[in-house]
Amino acid sequence: MKTLQYFLLLAFLGILVIAVTSLPPRGDVTAPVHQHVNPAGTLVAGTYFIQHAYEDTKTPNMVTVILADYRAFDTMGEVIVVFAGGIACFFILNVRRRKP
Amino acid sequence: MIEFIQGYYAYIFLAATFTIGLYGMMMKQNLMKKVLGMSVVAACTILFWIVSAYKDGAGVTVLDKRYGVENPELYLNPLPHTLMLTAIVVAVVTLGVALALLIGIYREFKTLDEPTLLERMK
Repeated sequence: MKTLQYFLLLAFLGILVIAVTSLPPRGDVTAPVHQHVNPAGTLVAGTYFIQHAYEDTKTPNMVTVILADYRAFDTMGEVIVVFAGGIACFFILNVRRRKP
Repeated sequence: MIEFIQGYYAYIFLAATFTIGLYGMMMKQNLMKKVLGMSVVAACTILFWIVSAYKDGAGVTVLDKRYGVENPELYLNPLPHTLMLTAIVVAVVTLGVALALLIGIYREFKTLDEPTLLERMK
């Protein structure tokens, strides 16, 4: 059984390596993801955010702008996820001991 | 050959790390080690996105007053980083709930070893 599991893991590693080596190499500017034209008419999906982030919000960090301004509702949903996790931890850890 | 290594070493390293995380989840008997394997897999997936967002000649996604925004190719695409920030939050919450469950299991059965646990649950 253990041998089968090791064999499965090795096969999975082989599949992963074959899959990643058929991607464009790291940092290649001619890769399709860096050539795609977005609905705003410019290259790369994030170009609109790069060009408008500072004008819109006066915050230099673009990741912050997207996370907390353009996608603020998504971040509010994240807060709900964290809250649910905290409540779950609270109730799991507060469960009463079973009397022996 | 050198170009191949420079282009793909990060991807191959991440594939190996992902498999190590799966190994921890599949083969280890201790539940804590299984949770650690799950955490490694999550971190590996996030790093894969960050690596594939890299672009030659581009800097971090913080506005540099010297360059301005006339040339967007001077900055990395900020979208993968943002989405992975969201994914990190979900991964951390999953890890926290898993650890709380482990604490509950340990309080109830005084062990985290899987065969011993199955024995004591009978």
